[in-house]
Amino acid sequence: MPRLDRLPAKTQAVLRAQPVAEYDSTPDAGPVRLAQARVALVTTAGLHLRADRPFAGKDPGYRVIPSDAGADDIVQSHSSIGFDRTATQRDLNVVFPLDRLRELVDEGVLGELAPRFLSFMGAQPDPEAVLAEAGGQAAEQLLRDGVDVVLLTPT
Amino acid sequence: MLARRFEAAGLATTSISLVLEHTALLRPPRALYVPFPFGLALGHPGDAAQQRRVLDAAFALFEDTPPVLRELTGEADDDEPGAPVQASALGLDGPARGGDVAGEVSRMRQYQQHWVARTGRTSVGLTGVPPTRFRGLVRFLEAVADGRFERPRECPPETELPYFIRWCCDDLKALYAEARFVMRPEDSGDAVARWLWADTALGDLLRRVGQRLAESDDPLARQLAYGIAR
Repeated sequence: MPRLDRLPAKTQAVLRAQPVAEYDSTPDAGPVRLAQARVALVTTAGLHLRADRPFAGKDPGYRVIPSDAGADDIVQSHSSIGFDRTATQRDLNVVFPLDRLRELVDEGVLGELAPRFLSFMGAQPDPEAVLAEAGGQAAEQLLRDGVDVVLLTPT
Repeated sequence: MLARRFEAAGLATTSISLVLEHTALLRPPRALYVPFPFGLALGHPGDAAQQRRVLDAAFALFEDTPPVLRELTGEADDDEPGAPVQASALGLDGPARGGDVAGEVSRMRQYQQHWVARTGRTSVGLTGVPPTRFRGLVRFLEAVADGRFERPRECPPETELPYFIRWCCDDLKALYAEARFVMRPEDSGDAVARWLWADTALGDLLRRVGQRLAESDDPLARQLAYGIAR
C-alpha cells in the first residue's frame, strides 16, 4: 500500500506536488558477487560525526562517517521535522544499519565493509544540484575506496 | 537519484524506498519499497530481526536484472501513522503552558542520564553545549521568544544565529525524547511527540520560538522557523 495515503493531508499534498524526475531507462553496473563485495552505506538521513559540522539549511554536500564508527559517535542534523526522529534516537540501525551490515559480513553474506560511509541530507528542493557536484564527488570517493556495492537508505 | 548516479559510475546499488510513487518514476536500478513511516527505513527500533529481513530483501534484488522495484510485504502496521504529530495539530492549553522550562529541563536530564548510562549513546550534541549547561540554552531561547536575539558565547563565531537557535531546539528535543524513553519506554514516536507538544513547558517555549522566528525580518530565521515547531 502506498505510504502517501497514511500521511497528514498537508504532507500528502506537498509530496504529491513535488516534481520528480522521470526516466525511461536505468543504468546497470553489471552483476556482483555479494559474498566478495566491498559494501558502502550511503544515507540521506542527515547524519554526521559528532565533531563534524551539522548540515545547515539545504546543504547539498555530504559528510564522511568511518565504517568502524560507534553509534554514539554519530548525530543527526536533518532539517526536516516531518519524520519520526525518535526511532533513530533509540536505534541508529533504523536508518544507518551499522550493526546489521557488520553481522552480514561476519556471516559471509557480504564480503567486507568499505572504510568510509557517506551521509547526505534529504528533503532537498533541488536534487539536481546535489547530483551535479556532491553526487559526482561521492561516486569518485567510493570508487577510490574500492567499493563494489552501495546500499542507500532514506530518512 | 543518487542510486542512478552511482550506478552510472560503475557502483552497483540497492536502495530502500519510502515513497512508492516517487521511486516508480525515478527508476533506480534496484529498490525495495518498505511500508514503514518516515524515519524508519529499516523497520522498527530494537527489532534486529525485522531490520535484517529488510536488508536480506534489499540485497536479494541483485538476483534480478535492473530496474527492479519490489515491495516488502508482511511487515505493515496499518494503525501506525506515517509521520509524527506536529505542534499545530494539538491544543495550546496544556497543563505545562508557561511553566518553568529550566526546572523541567533539569528533571528531564536526570532521566536522560539513565538512558545514556544504559545505552552508551545520546543524540544530543549539535550545539556542542553539554547538557549540564542547558539551563543557559533555555534562558537564551526564552530571550529569543521575547524578541531578544542576543548572541550567546556558546554560539561559534562562524555560525549564523538562526542555525544555532535551531540546534538548541534540536538538542533539547533530543534530551527530552531520551528522557521519555526511560519514563515511558512503550511510547511510540507519535506518543513522544504528543507529550512534548501538549504536556511540556519546553513544547510551549519551542512554539513561541518558532513563532518569533516566523515573524522575523531575517529570511533565514523565517526559513528555519518551520523546522522548530509547525
